[in-house]
Amino acid sequence: MGIRQTLDNLEPHFHKGGKYEKFYPLFEAVDTIFYAPPSVAKTTAHVRDGVDLKRIMITVWMCTFPAMFFGMWNAGWQANVAIAEGYGSMAGWREAIMMVLASGHNPDSLWANFVLGATYFLPIYLVTFVVGGFWEVLFAIKRGHEVNEGFFVTSVLYALILPATIPLWQVALGITFGVVIGKEIFGGTGKNFLNPALTGRAFLYFAYPAQISGDAVWVAADGYTGATALSIAFQDGMAALTEQYSWWDAFLGFIPGSVGETSTLAILIGAAVLLWTKIASWRIMLGVFLGMVATSALFNLVGSDSNPMFAMSWYWHLVLGGFAFGMVFMATDPVSASMTNQGRLIFGALIGVMTVLIRVVNPAFPEGIMLAILFANLFAPLIDNFFVQANIKRRKQRVGVPAEETA
Amino acid sequence: MAQSNNSIKKILTVAFALCIVCSVIVSTAAVGLRSKQQFNQELDRKTNILNVANLYEPGMDVNDTFASAVTPRVVDMRTGEYSEEHDPATWDGFEARRDPAASRTLSGEKDPAGLTRVENFATVYLVGDPEDPEQIILPIRGQGLWGLMRGFLAVEGDGNTIVGITYYEHAETPGLGAEVNNPRWQAQWDGKEIYGEAESLEPAIHLTKGGASGENEIDALSGATLTSNGVTNMLQFWLSPEGFGDYLAKFRAGVSQEAAQDADVELEAEGA
Amino acid sequence: MAEATPKGVLTTPVFKNNPIALQVLGICSALAVTTSMSVSLVMTIAVIFVTAFSNLFVSLIRHHIPSSIRIIVQMTIIASLVIVVDQILKAYAYEMSKQLSVFVGLIITNCIVMGRAEGFAMQNGPKLSFLDGIGNGLGYGFILMTVGFFRELFGSGSVFGFTVLQPVQDGGWYVPNGLLLLPPSAFFIIGMIIWVLRSLNPEQVEENEFRMKANTEPKEAV
Repeated sequence: MGIRQTLDNLEPHFHKGGKYEKFYPLFEAVDTIFYAPPSVAKTTAHVRDGVDLKRIMITVWMCTFPAMFFGMWNAGWQANVAIAEGYGSMAGWREAIMMVLASGHNPDSLWANFVLGATYFLPIYLVTFVVGGFWEVLFAIKRGHEVNEGFFVTSVLYALILPATIPLWQVALGITFGVVIGKEIFGGTGKNFLNPALTGRAFLYFAYPAQISGDAVWVAADGYTGATALSIAFQDGMAALTEQYSWWDAFLGFIPGSVGETSTLAILIGAAVLLWTKIASWRIMLGVFLGMVATSALFNLVGSDSNPMFAMSWYWHLVLGGFAFGMVFMATDPVSASMTNQGRLIFGALIGVMTVLIRVVNPAFPEGIMLAILFANLFAPLIDNFFVQANIKRRKQRVGVPAEETA
Repeated sequence: MAQSNNSIKKILTVAFALCIVCSVIVSTAAVGLRSKQQFNQELDRKTNILNVANLYEPGMDVNDTFASAVTPRVVDMRTGEYSEEHDPATWDGFEARRDPAASRTLSGEKDPAGLTRVENFATVYLVGDPEDPEQIILPIRGQGLWGLMRGFLAVEGDGNTIVGITYYEHAETPGLGAEVNNPRWQAQWDGKEIYGEAESLEPAIHLTKGGASGENEIDALSGATLTSNGVTNMLQFWLSPEGFGDYLAKFRAGVSQEAAQDADVELEAEGA
Repeated sequence: MAEATPKGVLTTPVFKNNPIALQVLGICSALAVTTSMSVSLVMTIAVIFVTAFSNLFVSLIRHHIPSSIRIIVQMTIIASLVIVVDQILKAYAYEMSKQLSVFVGLIITNCIVMGRAEGFAMQNGPKLSFLDGIGNGLGYGFILMTVGFFRELFGSGSVFGFTVLQPVQDGGWYVPNGLLLLPPSAFFIIGMIIWVLRSLNPEQVEENEFRMKANTEPKEAV
């Protein structure tokens, strides 16, 4: 094996006393991309499953593929339809690539749509990866840690929840904030209490709301404006929404939105794999879902004359905006979610309830899942503590050890 | 000493002495500076008014210009006539909005700006000759996204063409809704028209997304849909017959006084 | 605290023992008034004035303050000073006082002022106390101005009201960062300042509350 040999030959340089001692984390990262890490956690405190962190992360990464590929196609399709309707196309290098590879803006061509979407998504992903990876490696070298594969997942999730038309410098700024403030400041992977991808997105959301707040759609055609499905419902009511998009459109993903969020179906395919491999917690997903259904049902029941969002039913909440994506990929992040089983249900339900609350009642933000998950992240340790303490108490009672107060 | 410090007598003496000294200092400051503060408040209001009328220049003597160029008058919004009931120099319509004797309740469709109650008399400011003003400056207010927005709208003497708009009090999101005070955004109001048709009393001016084109259209604030709606709604209210519609009709050519009077009768009938 | 010297009480609160960065006091107003540097500056001056004089007066009468009502006495002195400052601002700096709105009044509840009166002025002479007040006000101001600088520069593209980065809304190239116009951004910036200060002065870092035991012999799980 050529690669193995090359790596083994290089390895001594990176060990203590070697020439590149400082860059060991970088070497380790490259090494473990190709091969299983030589040492995985073995002590009881850390082993929750026989699979190592790297395999988990790569599985999650691959689970986003359906949403990612569909998202690229959809971003291109939305733009090509708009261009076919007479809007100008965005000039620049993207257009040049487009012309070379697909030679035109034909909304009926699978390939043309895909290429156009890819010229938007791939640069976003690349920038995320390079900039985020830079910080990751910098902190790893400074602290003498190893580079963690968690970043694979963070970067792809972050790229997928961004709109296709976002300027690349904003992508770089957002991932910087997400990785540094959302994760490294607290000690790196495993110690962050916020989801770094969402932290980065939230930063952009508040820093550059005009571009990203979800008020107007992000279609890559010159001068094209319109409202996202959620803001149509908020402004003009459900009737206006159903006139424009059918539920199946929204479920399959033929609506404008952030790259990875539009197709509920593609996300659910990823969810099936995550659940089947038991990587994601079904309790969290169920909790989010039930919380959302219960809250939206409550709002349906209460009703409102002035706020049309009250009338949105749960199956619409499910397919619009980032709800499905957040439920499947963001809420289930093992580090920032609750760890106890009952805690996971509560954690999920909190997200579901908050999402609908923000969507329906808050006048300023059409989308709520991102803020809801970050909010619930803050509560995760508290929820866990509650159940852990209850558990300890119950066990003490069972084995007959006198309760704490005697001590 | 600690002993004597904590005796009831000592505690009372210290507390009493301290209260006297502090209250003297505080009241001296408050009384001594009051006239100066009121002057500042007046100056601020006048600056805002001159600003919206495009008369303000940095460094000018605001009080002088205001006294020579601007005449405040109190308008009865129910009839559109000037009222002599209140002194324009001291009347504060905003303060009176909760006074049952001088205000009325709004509800449903008559209250697009979310005001709940509105005063019957409002102070308007006339620039130039009070009988044939160059500009009429109207106080406006309404709900934005986060709270009440208060401002002035300047209209030309024809009662239809807008000169400018400014907000002196609002709580909108910085960078989005707060752009209502961006001079570039405000500049596009100059020359827009309030009413679509000459005979109509219903204001046609509104904010629109994606490029304003018509005489009655203003670019919405990007990323601030609800603030934009708030601005549209408050204009719809204050320029309708519920607000200054009747008053402005007196200045507009083409709107007969009868039409305005008819609208009033209708209003009163509904109000009863 | 070691022997208090005039120079020491004036300078240590700025970097070494900063009331915001180390004692984490007075955060509330630091979040609220730092959107622009000129407002931060006026706030700084107001706080320096109030802290210095409340320290001075409390110290002057410290031997006569009954311990049972000492907090009330301090509060009364501080509150009176704050009202005077507020009235003066309204009279002579109306624009500023409009922007500072309630936050001048809230200096009363600023823990720095109260903390210095109770913690320093009650034990030390008037001269030292006065300097200590100024020192802590400066420490507060240092953070305020730094936060204000970043927030104004990146949030509105200007420094002290002078445009440095021409924002897009005014036809320039700079896209202002809206987050920095919102109060929570001051949290991030203060956090970063604390990070920097602690990297420079490692003795500020608290000791760990507990040490994690090093991984013992690796054994197969179960």
